[in-house]
Amino acid sequence: MGGNTSQLSKENVSEYQELTFLTKQEILLAYKRFSELYEDRRSSLDPRTSRIPLQKMTELPELRSNPFKHRICRVFSTSEVKDGSLSFEDFLDLLSAFSDSATLEIKSHYAFCIFDDDNDGTLNRKDLEKLINHLTSESEDTKLTRNEMEQLINNILEESDIDKDGTVNLSEFQHVISRSPDFVSSFKIVL
Amino acid sequence: MSTVSEPLVSGSSRSLSSAKRHKSIRKNSRRIFSTYHNQQGPSDDEDKEDERVDSNDPEEMFQNIQYQKEIIANIRSRPWPMKRKLKVLKQAREIVLRYEGRLTRTRGYQTAGADLLIKLSRLLYNIVVLFIPWEVRIKKIESHFGSGVASYFIFLRWLFGINIVLTIMTGAFIVLPELLAGAAFGTTRSKTIPREHLASAQDLDTIWSLGGYLQYSVLFYGYYGSVRKIGSAGYRLPLAYFLVGMAVFAYSFIILLRKMAKNSRLSLASTSDENFTFCWRVFCAWDYLIGNPEAAESKGAAIVNNIREAIVEEQEKKKDTSLAVLISLRIIANILVLLSLAGSIYIIYFVVDRSQKLEQEKPELSLWEKNEVSVVVSLITMIAPSAFELVAQLEQYHPRTSLRFQLARVLVLYLGNLYSLIIALLDKVNSMSSAVPVNPGNWSESSSFLATISQPEPDSLSTLVSDISFPEHHNSTTATVAAVTHLSNSSRPSSGFNQTSLFEKTTRSQQDQCWETYVGQEMLKLSIIDMIFTVASILLIDFIRGLVVRYLSDCCCWDLESKFPEYGEFKIAENVLHLIYNQGMIWMGAFFSPCLPAFNVLKLIGLMYLRSWAVLTCNVPHQQVFRASRSNNFYLAMLLFMLFLCMLPTIFAIVRYRPSQHCGPFSGQEKIYDIISDTVASDFPLWFSKVMSYITSPVVVLPALLLLFMLIYYLQAIARSLKFTNTQLRMQLQTERTEDKKKVVQLAAARLQGPEAAADPKPDLQESDITSQEASIHTPSPRQNGSATTFQSPVSHGTSIRTITQSVSRAELSRGSVTGSFRCPAVTVLPKHRLEHIPNRPPPFLGGPSGTCRSKSYHHIRHNAPGHSPDNIHSDPLYRRTARSARPIEHAGIIPAQSCGGRRSHATRYIIINEHEPRKKLLRSATRIPRHYLMEEPAEILELYPRNMKRYTHRTAHHQSHHSHRAYLSQQYLSEDEEDEQGGKGRGRMTSTKAHRPHSLSDLHQSAHFYIGDQEESHALRAQNVGEEDGEGEMDSEDLELASRSKSSVKGTEPVVVRIRHHVHSPGRDGQSPARIRHMESYVKTKTRTKLETPLTESDSASLASSSDQQNSSTDQYIQVIHNKERYFKSDASQENMAKRKSKASFDRNVTESNDLVCSNV
Repeated sequence: MGGNTSQLSKENVSEYQELTFLTKQEILLAYKRFSELYEDRRSSLDPRTSRIPLQKMTELPELRSNPFKHRICRVFSTSEVKDGSLSFEDFLDLLSAFSDSATLEIKSHYAFCIFDDDNDGTLNRKDLEKLINHLTSESEDTKLTRNEMEQLINNILEESDIDKDGTVNLSEFQHVISRSPDFVSSFKIVL
Repeated sequence: MSTVSEPLVSGSSRSLSSAKRHKSIRKNSRRIFSTYHNQQGPSDDEDKEDERVDSNDPEEMFQNIQYQKEIIANIRSRPWPMKRKLKVLKQAREIVLRYEGRLTRTRGYQTAGADLLIKLSRLLYNIVVLFIPWEVRIKKIESHFGSGVASYFIFLRWLFGINIVLTIMTGAFIVLPELLAGAAFGTTRSKTIPREHLASAQDLDTIWSLGGYLQYSVLFYGYYGSVRKIGSAGYRLPLAYFLVGMAVFAYSFIILLRKMAKNSRLSLASTSDENFTFCWRVFCAWDYLIGNPEAAESKGAAIVNNIREAIVEEQEKKKDTSLAVLISLRIIANILVLLSLAGSIYIIYFVVDRSQKLEQEKPELSLWEKNEVSVVVSLITMIAPSAFELVAQLEQYHPRTSLRFQLARVLVLYLGNLYSLIIALLDKVNSMSSAVPVNPGNWSESSSFLATISQPEPDSLSTLVSDISFPEHHNSTTATVAAVTHLSNSSRPSSGFNQTSLFEKTTRSQQDQCWETYVGQEMLKLSIIDMIFTVASILLIDFIRGLVVRYLSDCCCWDLESKFPEYGEFKIAENVLHLIYNQGMIWMGAFFSPCLPAFNVLKLIGLMYLRSWAVLTCNVPHQQVFRASRSNNFYLAMLLFMLFLCMLPTIFAIVRYRPSQHCGPFSGQEKIYDIISDTVASDFPLWFSKVMSYITSPVVVLPALLLLFMLIYYLQAIARSLKFTNTQLRMQLQTERTEDKKKVVQLAAARLQGPEAAADPKPDLQESDITSQEASIHTPSPRQNGSATTFQSPVSHGTSIRTITQSVSRAELSRGSVTGSFRCPAVTVLPKHRLEHIPNRPPPFLGGPSGTCRSKSYHHIRHNAPGHSPDNIHSDPLYRRTARSARPIEHAGIIPAQSCGGRRSHATRYIIINEHEPRKKLLRSATRIPRHYLMEEPAEILELYPRNMKRYTHRTAHHQSHHSHRAYLSQQYLSEDEEDEQGGKGRGRMTSTKAHRPHSLSDLHQSAHFYIGDQEESHALRAQNVGEEDGEGEMDSEDLELASRSKSSVKGTEPVVVRIRHHVHSPGRDGQSPARIRHMESYVKTKTRTKLETPLTESDSASLASSSDQQNSSTDQYIQVIHNKERYFKSDASQENMAKRKSKASFDRNVTESNDLVCSNV
């Protein structure tokens, strides 16, 4: 591992520190974890270009049981082919957004992106339904009935859709989220 | 008309000033830019433009550095991908380093220190988190039973914390000193068990009723010595006792209020109407920290639970039932509740009274008789809530309200219990402490009465006869007081004094009856019994029932699990209230029994484990669990209420009764609180007591109170006003949003009316509206010029147009127009025409020019798109437009030249309105007033094209750089301003558009065309919008545009554009249109210059006839110039021309010219 961590130059680490909410240790740890995941591939690890595929990423114990793991990876992925694979920098971005000290604003922004399933910049009914289905894990006994789902979505829109356009946009979303007492404390992933 | 025109004027003037401001800014940036341009590669320059510092201006430099620092500080909170952040950071750092090398070192230290601090605090936090008790347990419960049940445990934990602190306070300051330094057990009378009790002191029975050894221990008030200072350090135990007793209340109050304030801060943020239950339950539901699949599963279950709960709640709201029955039922229910409350209070009082009598009558009390009071109280507290619940079912309230009712009732019940108990006790105390007769005549009687009670006790210490006399003299007249005091005074110091046997006996009994200890005993007893009952009820009602239901359900004729016994439900509300009640007992008794908090700590620990075990094993979650989250102040409010009410009796007892004379730290004092004044008097310097006496005198206290009230009132008023403004703001926000929405809807509807539904809605619409209106405004002037005998006006037009295009600022435009009017008397005629044709038109001078500018800009756009990229999507709309426009053109064509003013205006109007049809207009105009129109439009095109290019490049620069929000914003502003100045499109105008819209509606069809045609613009706008949120998206779109548009290399175009812009601005400032124009021309091309110059000269000459000629000639020149480059666009132009019905040579020429011009500029 030491060899791997040394690949991250001091400069890089301090830059990453500047650009994320992570501490040096966390960055190094993240690098370690990342290179562990990466190890079985042959080419050397470049923080910018080496990518870990979505499948592998979601195997990460911290993400494994997260119902939004696929969305999370896709949101943070900068891959051109949109396959949800993460480079180390993407990974750092992810960890930064989910870190303890990230601001509510950035957390809510990413939360919005994660919930916005079709990436159209608003949460429409489809997005909400998907989101709820993610949460209720889609098994038969826990899944909401059609009626319940309808009502729930209606209620959500009623509460949050200030401009009554039938969707929740980012500012509406942030408005709602910022009032929540425990969003910041629960929107966290720690390695 | 005037009303319509006003907003436009104001808008234009506003934009004028802003344009100036921005121009200057831009100029600076330009300069900077150009300097850097040489040093660095051209690709980055655009990005960095906004970061550049004007090294000549220290003020600006400083600001820029600050700005860059801000960027660096905030970069991490930007939702960008790392790559972009890195780039921006590097750039920002570079700048800061360059200009501020020496500052960075100190900054480095600072950041290092801050980092260290952060690390330390994080470490501390982690450690603290480790020590939060039962976190895992509570999480587990939470995941099984939801936030409601968990809130009970969290509340329990919080109470546990409070009790820990209370225990530490009492333990460290009272119990430990007494144990360590106080007189040992058995050394003084108050610390020895009376001989007659010694035999039974170790009996379980005695211990159980807290007598014997327990009674004479640190558990109770009576044990503590009254020696002023104990130990070698001279610890003032009595003072400490009193202070700690008060501190317990003070601490509880403070911690409660603080917690409540914190919660209310949280809940204030979301005031009643802003309660996003559903959103939170969905958006904030998942705990991303969960990594354990099992935990995730249970969390998922909890979320589903939660959501269902909310849904049920919502459905519950919609239920309706008949009123009359309900009301009567509710009345009955309330009567029942009241009856049971009264009954329970009566029973308690009766029991206390009976126990008192029993004590007096019977020498030996049975176990039942001893514990009667607490058992009865506990029984009532157990049974009554269930009864209330039954009653509540009658009422059929919404579950939440019924829960509230239930809670309120139970709270009243508990309070009633505690109060009747304490009142009964105090009654007893009263009879004990001031036992006796009110009048001296009954003295002997009373004492004998006491004696009878104490008769069985054989020996009597002769001490403290005085104690008895004290109470008596208290209640007696002054005469007796004197005598008795004398007696007491003499007797008190001498403990070995011999008195009559009567006195001895009474003394003995009095000494035994240390009332504070008695109250403490009762409270502790109550607490213990309560605990036993709780445990028993948990075991019996929950556990056994659970067992029975589980294992006997098979061999029973009905389904035990779903029918009668079921599993026990966990009733959060009752349980929380029980906790509160329990805490109330502690507060009530803490003064008399310093170890009560310690006991409570143990009790709470036990309760925690037992309850959590019971909940997990044999309870089912309440069917309708209601959220009582951490932020809910309800429990806390009840707790506060309880604290206050429990403090009252204690305070009352402290103030009202005199302490027991034989026992406790305050023995021998008149009042308990005398300890303070005594201490102040004896142990503090004289001045202090003097000060104290002043402070406590009414002179100070009354004003202080008054001040306090005033302060409270003031703060209250402020809070009210803040609340008011808050609601006002919220309302305003809401209305504004709905207004906006409405407008958008209207616009959309209007658009739909038009034959072609444009792809892009808002920005286009608004802008197009504006433009159309303005265009309409414009048009008249040309027409008039044409119609009006004066040829000058056209000239002026041409000039104005040019100026507009060049300077872009409305001010300039207006100037240009003004100049135009100046020159041509026809201008005065113009307004009239306009009135006739387009009533909504704003004042001709300002509005006209600006309008022309805009229309021009539109033209440009169109031209650009088709010209450069034939494959573009835009081309289609163009064709359509052209097709549509054809109609009006024909119209125009039909109209003879005679009624030049009216018809032409019509034609022009159409053209303007259609924005896209400028070419056609041109064509048309060419037919009628060939030269002028041609001239103007080509010129416009020329200028516009560069502008557009600029704009685009600008934006691209934006995207690439993405330095920061600010940079962004500023850039946007800049771009907007540019647009304003250019007269192409301004957001500032958008505001004005609203006002104008109604008018434009009439022209809607045409305007709609415009919109469609304007796709390019919309593109740009969209790109901008997108860019605000997503840099990449922007970049892409812009890149695309760029790529499509520019045949020649983008880079090549950019510099040209920039240059042009630069120049344009500077002339704009000068405010002299001709000068400007010349600048422009010189920069752009010699050819253009020549063209432009000719018109200028014309205008200058101001001679009507000559002007016309000149114009013509100028146009010719123009055309010729253009002709050179016709080939570029031939293909595109030909297509366009095809679309247009009227294919005249002049048309072609014009079109081609415009295209050519554009090209040439590039």
